[in-house]
Amino acid sequence: MFERRITRTAVPALVLVVLILGACGSNGGTEDTGSSDAAGAATAETLRIGIMSEEGNLTPHTYATGFPGLNLTMLSYDSLMQADENGEPQPWLAETVESSPDGLTYTLGLADGVTWHDGEALTAEDVVFSVDYYKAGPPGRFATAMANVSQAVAQDESTVVLTLGVPDPSFEIRVLADVPILAEHVWSGITEPDLAPFDETTNIGSGPYRLVESDPGVSYSFEAHPEYFRGEPKVDELVVVQFADEAGATAALRSGEIDTMMRSISPEQIDVLRGAGSLDVVEAPEYTTTLLVFNTAVAPFDQAEFRRAVALAVDRQRLVDDVFLGAAVVGNAGWVHPSSQWYDESVETVYDPEAAARLLDDIGLTDSDSDGIRELDGASLSFELLVASNNALRMRLAELIGEQLGEVGIGVEVSSVEMQTLDDAVWPGYDVAQGRNYEMSMWGWSASSQADIGQMASLVSSDPAIGNLNVTGYADPETDALAVELDTELDPTARAEVADQLQQRIAEEVPFVSLLHPNGAYGYNPDVFGDWVSITGSGPMTKLSFIPDDGQP
Amino acid sequence: MTARVITESAPEPQIVLRRSRVSGDRTRVLGVIGAVIVLALGTVAVLAPVLAPYDPTERAGTPFSPPSAEHLLGTNDVGQDLLSEMIYGTRVSLTVGIVAAAAAMVLGTVVGLIGGYFPRLGAVAMRGVDVVLILPFLPLLIVLAAYLGRSIVNTVIIIAILIWAPTARVIRSQVLSLAKRDYIVAARSMGAGHGYVIRRHVLPKTLLLAIGEFVAATSGAILLESSLSFLGLGDPLQESWGSTLYWAQARGAFLTPAWKWWVLPPGLLIMLSALGFALLGYALEQRINPRLRRS
Repeated sequence: MFERRITRTAVPALVLVVLILGACGSNGGTEDTGSSDAAGAATAETLRIGIMSEEGNLTPHTYATGFPGLNLTMLSYDSLMQADENGEPQPWLAETVESSPDGLTYTLGLADGVTWHDGEALTAEDVVFSVDYYKAGPPGRFATAMANVSQAVAQDESTVVLTLGVPDPSFEIRVLADVPILAEHVWSGITEPDLAPFDETTNIGSGPYRLVESDPGVSYSFEAHPEYFRGEPKVDELVVVQFADEAGATAALRSGEIDTMMRSISPEQIDVLRGAGSLDVVEAPEYTTTLLVFNTAVAPFDQAEFRRAVALAVDRQRLVDDVFLGAAVVGNAGWVHPSSQWYDESVETVYDPEAAARLLDDIGLTDSDSDGIRELDGASLSFELLVASNNALRMRLAELIGEQLGEVGIGVEVSSVEMQTLDDAVWPGYDVAQGRNYEMSMWGWSASSQADIGQMASLVSSDPAIGNLNVTGYADPETDALAVELDTELDPTARAEVADQLQQRIAEEVPFVSLLHPNGAYGYNPDVFGDWVSITGSGPMTKLSFIPDDGQP
Repeated sequence: MTARVITESAPEPQIVLRRSRVSGDRTRVLGVIGAVIVLALGTVAVLAPVLAPYDPTERAGTPFSPPSAEHLLGTNDVGQDLLSEMIYGTRVSLTVGIVAAAAAMVLGTVVGLIGGYFPRLGAVAMRGVDVVLILPFLPLLIVLAAYLGRSIVNTVIIIAILIWAPTARVIRSQVLSLAKRDYIVAARSMGAGHGYVIRRHVLPKTLLLAIGEFVAATSGAILLESSLSFLGLGDPLQESWGSTLYWAQARGAFLTPAWKWWVLPPGLLIMLSALGFALLGYALEQRINPRLRRS
């Protein structure tokens, strides 16, 4: 009978042991004594890359995730322009890009000698076809981008004229440098691109790599396109292997099973991997943002003074040091990443809890019952701070912010919830017009929200058509006016001026608190390949890393 | 009737004495070991504020520090003292274990009593018990945890839902045999109501058994709580041993030398507490459970 009793406790015990063993996996470590070459190999025959997400079929219509899915897809496809190391759009498939003074017409001269993977030439007809195909196709990132293009005409073999519905100062970065061009002879027969059969015939792009083997959920294999118009790619073959989680992929990287991974490693792993001997880490600032957002309809978040006090009470440097171990850039009060060309240096980001306390006193939020928490109309000033439970670092940030706000007398209760629950509360239906149902939340936007300065308007405008990312429900006439100007100003100098004004306005009004930008940190084996090319804000895991020096944009 | 009651309860000590001395001693030793472990952990839980060198929520040192004189087990990813976290974690783990097991005991005893006393109703109730018994443990646990959301109360409810069934079975078989005894039949034929018989005769003789089951179930509940927390399905902001393991995993301690002071201690403590309750439960059951006693 002892057995029966043991069995009952043994089941969970066994489960726990298995879980823990599974997690430690490769605990032995691979202590390689050989010192690594800092520069790293500039060419390679095969590079094995680990990913951690299910990516589906890698076509412009069926890729699953923005990163790394779209980055992998774009290995086989090209856009008309390409972001360079500074994140600036540069001529690519289109050798010349000329816009009319009114910003409504773009004349594109295509590069010579560009061929599809099957040997056919890429012509102006393909570009026109792509525009029309995206516009007629199912909704998606590229259909949205193309929505503003009212007409595309092939003037001759290598010249395309695009006509826009309304002028868009971000057209180059948001559309030309983003949308992959499709081969007419491949896609014209496909009526339902989302369900397109995925095989060698639909795998034709013009990019530096051709997808030769695809087993979604397991692995992908890419072969270099030797006739690539920008020169032969630096690595002959890319093998992309999917892992269940970061721990598994990190273990594989340490044991030499893979050479790099398309996932930024967590800050505490940076020194560990560097110390492993055979590995190195390429670290670069990324535009991904981490924000503290609040519902501006909830009192007293409707008062700019209160929001400013919250921003003053948050010690961003401490968050960077304690949670990210320094591997992050302190968020700027004016939203824009300090590495961005649009960054306005005059906007100061200040941590001053005493000033915060004074501000709170001034607007009548005082602690009358001396319990350490201020009161608003007799009720204690306390808020629920939501955080997604699948993001350990953000949970730690939330805890620290709770402590820091507690020091100035604002009560914070951190609740960890499922990611979907959080999205439903903060951004129901991914449509800000549907309102919001939360008090405070940890939040973040992807790198593209910073790469295109025009997106700044979408964060703060109260008009849902412009402010489609305004999850705090913030509304202010002066800010709205600046947002409209940013969205329409075509002159680059004038636009930079508007961007500066809007940053100052954001710093003053605090529609949200920009906390920090985690740096991208990618572990790799420099003996195999180490000649990474980082795009400011988006990191090194793009096709630029595989394009030879003389072919760089 | 009084006489019968006495003869029914009298044999107990005799039966215990008839057992082989060796096996009785072994049971007792195991029971004492279990009791000592449980008592020690209980003391730590109660005296946590006195014993812990730091407040476990306070950031007392540099994040990721290895063990030192100030921090005997080092610090975690935000600089909280791991030793203090272990000490306070005892509170959470024991509380969740005991409360969940108690809830399971109450539920199991009620179902077992009704099932045993009213055989027809019992046949139906026992099919429900069968269903709970054959459900795959961990997947159900994960689904429930994801569905109900993360909080310590939900963790307790989920664990209780999963572990009450064996108790119900044991209690039911005891009640089934009790209900057929002469003195209960006599009481019933003299007009005693169901409520009276259950309260006066059945419950007192099953309660001891339920307590034995409870102690054993606590051990399982502690392990389940740790599993849930480790998977991040508990409340990761509660300082339990399982959530310490969760953070160790989330911040890569399994891949660095930090496992020695960040993973091992909570693992050992979970093992120790589960062992303590299991041993105590085993010893108690050997004494209490009539089926085991006669074997």
